[in-house]
Amino acid sequence: MKKKIALVMACAMTVASLAGCGGGSGSTSTTAAAGGETTAAAAGGETTAAAEAPAGGGEANLVMYWWGNQVRNERTQAALDKYCELNPGVSIDGQFAEWNDYWNKLATMAAGQAIPDVLQMDYMYVDQYAKSNLLVDLKPYIDNGTLDVSEISENTIASGTVDGGVYAIAAGINAPALLYNKTLLDENGITVKDNMTMDEFFALCKEVFEKTGVKTDIAYGIANSWSEYYMRSFDIVPFGDKKMNGDETSWTPFFEMYTKGLEEGWLLPPDVFAEITVGSVEQTPMVYNSTPATQSWCEFYNSNQLAAMQNAAPEGMEIGITTWPAPDPKKSAYLKSSQFFSVGVHTKNEEEAVKVLDFMINSSDANNILLGERGVPAPADIAAEVAPQLSEIDQKVTAFINDVVTPNCSPINPPQPDGASEVYDLLNRTVEKVCYGQLDAATAAAEFFTEANKIMSSK
Amino acid sequence: MKGKKNLTFRQFMCKESTAGVVFCAPFIIGFLMFMIVPMGISFYYSFCDYNILTPAVFSGAKNYIKMFTDDEVFWQTIGVTFYFAFVSVPLRLIFALIVAMILLKTTKATGFYRAAYYLPSIIGGSVAVAVLWKRMWATDGVINTLLSAIGIETSFAWLGNTNTAIWVLIVLAVWQFGSSMLIFLSALKQIPVSLYEAATVDGANKWHQFWRVTLPLLTPNIFFNLVMQMINGFLAFTQCFIITQGKPLNSTLFYTVYMYQQSFEFYNTGYGAALAWIMLVIIGLITLLLFATKKFWVYEGGF
Amino acid sequence: MGMTTKRTIGKIVYHVLVCGLGLVMIYPLVWMIMSSFKPTQTIFTTANQLIPSQFVLENYANGWKGFAKISFGVFFKNSLFISIIATIGTLISSALVAFGFSRCKFFGKRILFVAMLLSMMLPAQVLMIPQYLWYQKLGWVGSYKPLIIPYFFAIQGFFVYQITNFIDGIPRELDEAAKIDGCSYYSIFFRIILPLTTPALITSTIFSFMWRWDDFLSALLYINESAKYPVSLALKLFCDPGSSSDYGAMFAMATISILPAVIMFICLQKYLVEGISTSGLKG
Repeated sequence: MKKKIALVMACAMTVASLAGCGGGSGSTSTTAAAGGETTAAAAGGETTAAAEAPAGGGEANLVMYWWGNQVRNERTQAALDKYCELNPGVSIDGQFAEWNDYWNKLATMAAGQAIPDVLQMDYMYVDQYAKSNLLVDLKPYIDNGTLDVSEISENTIASGTVDGGVYAIAAGINAPALLYNKTLLDENGITVKDNMTMDEFFALCKEVFEKTGVKTDIAYGIANSWSEYYMRSFDIVPFGDKKMNGDETSWTPFFEMYTKGLEEGWLLPPDVFAEITVGSVEQTPMVYNSTPATQSWCEFYNSNQLAAMQNAAPEGMEIGITTWPAPDPKKSAYLKSSQFFSVGVHTKNEEEAVKVLDFMINSSDANNILLGERGVPAPADIAAEVAPQLSEIDQKVTAFINDVVTPNCSPINPPQPDGASEVYDLLNRTVEKVCYGQLDAATAAAEFFTEANKIMSSK
Repeated sequence: MKGKKNLTFRQFMCKESTAGVVFCAPFIIGFLMFMIVPMGISFYYSFCDYNILTPAVFSGAKNYIKMFTDDEVFWQTIGVTFYFAFVSVPLRLIFALIVAMILLKTTKATGFYRAAYYLPSIIGGSVAVAVLWKRMWATDGVINTLLSAIGIETSFAWLGNTNTAIWVLIVLAVWQFGSSMLIFLSALKQIPVSLYEAATVDGANKWHQFWRVTLPLLTPNIFFNLVMQMINGFLAFTQCFIITQGKPLNSTLFYTVYMYQQSFEFYNTGYGAALAWIMLVIIGLITLLLFATKKFWVYEGGF
Repeated sequence: MGMTTKRTIGKIVYHVLVCGLGLVMIYPLVWMIMSSFKPTQTIFTTANQLIPSQFVLENYANGWKGFAKISFGVFFKNSLFISIIATIGTLISSALVAFGFSRCKFFGKRILFVAMLLSMMLPAQVLMIPQYLWYQKLGWVGSYKPLIIPYFFAIQGFFVYQITNFIDGIPRELDEAAKIDGCSYYSIFFRIILPLTTPALITSTIFSFMWRWDDFLSALLYINESAKYPVSLALKLFCDPGSSSDYGAMFAMATISILPAVIMFICLQKYLVEGISTSGLKG
């Protein structure tokens, strides 16, 4: 019996020590894999004599982690290889995963205090990661010149700023974009203008529906940024400090948009979305479905997704690009970062990691390989240098950002705090209820506000 | 142990109780080394405010209280999960048993047939299945086309309706009956031919043979499959995760998917852990119930 | 004459029925294979038509190319290594433990059995982080150890229980006879029970191999280097919800990736049902 108790005790103690300190300082960081180390050591050995390399950073083994597809994996790894070539003694292991997997793994690594040296970040997570002390504040490096941001606009820097510290640098510039079936509209003599107001947009939806029978998808199931964009017209930043801004009626117009669409018949019914994977470019109703009753003439996406959307479109369908509509287009519009690069706080070689980050953002060497795959490069000079090498579609996107959005926008809201993803889930579920006719707009607005407030206050 | 009976080491090792422990040693070590600590940590997390990114903070029974008093979705997912498990598991087992009986007979083509019927389980939860399954049940999909072909003209949205969407997942689960089928197949061949011969001498036809010989002797395997599939049914994740994500209106939201959302999408990881432990209690009770009924219908005698 | 006609008709009906249902069973697989030969942009727009109007092989070339200069062949090699070793571990350890559960009485057996069942009842997702922390403490993260070593310790209760169940079905008279001949438990296991357990071991091999092959969660957590990824993880890399996904390449590689399991199944299935039925076990 005694033995048993001792055993239980021992287990409990291990559990407590593990859970309590979350890996603690004693845990060995195993991110730098053994294989990488040996090759780096070998390379370092060879080059110590000729160590007068440009960066003079000495030996370092770094890990960079990102999400993306085949093209991005290929190009990013090539850019990293280029860095290693220019900086003998440095080896960088590029690791990649699919979006969902990426965040699961990153969170798990955070629990184990083993965040990679350089990593890709998203607007949705940067606040949480920065506030949990998992990202390095880049401000000192900007001040001492290691990280050059002279060519990056203030707004863009601000989008990666949390509580005065710069935790993330934009890897590419992006803007919310309404992607639409240009072929369909042209055939029916319907024109779309940039910076539409909501009323103009509604009229357009109605016109398209009456002439062609094709309906409209208003960011169904992915209303996250859309709701934020919309509320900016009313000067409401949804998330406050542990509470929701606005009141129980603030969201009524937002939900009325859906009830109006249902009444007038031009809104895609919710059951259409049960048959697709919401959020996947290839399966948006605009390009995936083939009958007017299940098709949409437009989709609420981002500018850097134009190429993907055009790729997914059936033959003969040209995709057009314009701004999202809003009650007050100028107030709502913003430029955002498609994704960020950050430096993880557990890195053993912070300086070198920042240099890699600077290389990816600012060097022609890297960007001539990356070719704006993550969006228009943030530094103006690099953007200009890369522009002529871009595909026709990407040039269209660059023009859209420079000529349509930039002159007509305001700074983006601060990054969303912890709790936002739960609130967005609630929002999408509330939209679903409204579309299934279970709630009217006013009740939906009140219920949503109360519930969301509860979520935020519990954080 | 040496003193009392003066057993030699060999004799000691050959004792039934020692042999049992020796044979079970891998599991004992494995459980202590790989299971007990992670289980303990997750149990501790279930009493914490924990968001993965910052260390866990003990918060008492808060998570459990919230679950039972202030979480509508929790009750919804319990309902969905019970429905799914109690419908899909029996259907799957019946289907698996029928197919196993059919494929027991060895002809030249059976190898091929067995492979064909097992294939759905191999491709399991792949993206291809996710895409295709939704396509098949779409308003203009194969299912509705087939229905039209037999005279039922319809453009019913199977996935868009809160009553039928769960059935799309149930059919998928039943379609992947391969693993239970294999277990039945190997068990069917374990039944001695002599018993069938004896039954034939007694004048029993195939039908009687099935009910009097096959089924009773198969009960241990039915029981095993039932327990395993019940556990799997309650822990079902993939079907919902890749196909419906709980849509529409949470009518297909599995418990584990909800737990996953809480843990990894909303970062309420402590709450997620609490959900998991409640699931363990539920499955534990159901398994206990099944074991309690065992003596009434499971044939334990050997052959 | 009448009898043979009847039998022939019966045979035809049997084959038609089994074939017909079989087609329903493999339709999704056929769809996936066919899709893998369609130009990747047309996969969704032509999802309702089975036969590709344009037959291309480029998906296989694109897929095999892999990611960042790591060919898909590397991922296959990794998967084979992990799955085979882990399966061997599972078989050996589970068979031993199952014999202990089935044939020996000893103190704590019930508790062990309950522990085994309980360990199956926690959702895998909830153990992700605790397990990661624990393996990190052991210094195993970044290697194949967490994907292989635990399987040598019978941590999958399913297999233990399945084999236990099978051994329970083997007549005890056989052991008793052997015991009288002076066999110890160890020789009873190796000489008598283990050979008779073949069908259960075959099913376990099939399941274990397939489950290890499909398991991406532990690979995601514990493997860092991209060149060490298994197929299950690599397949997901073709999809990026935010930008373009290459479904063609993914279906092509998914098609190849089920081959090992299918080949293995076809080779093993006949042993599955041969087993002991002919070996004169008359109770």
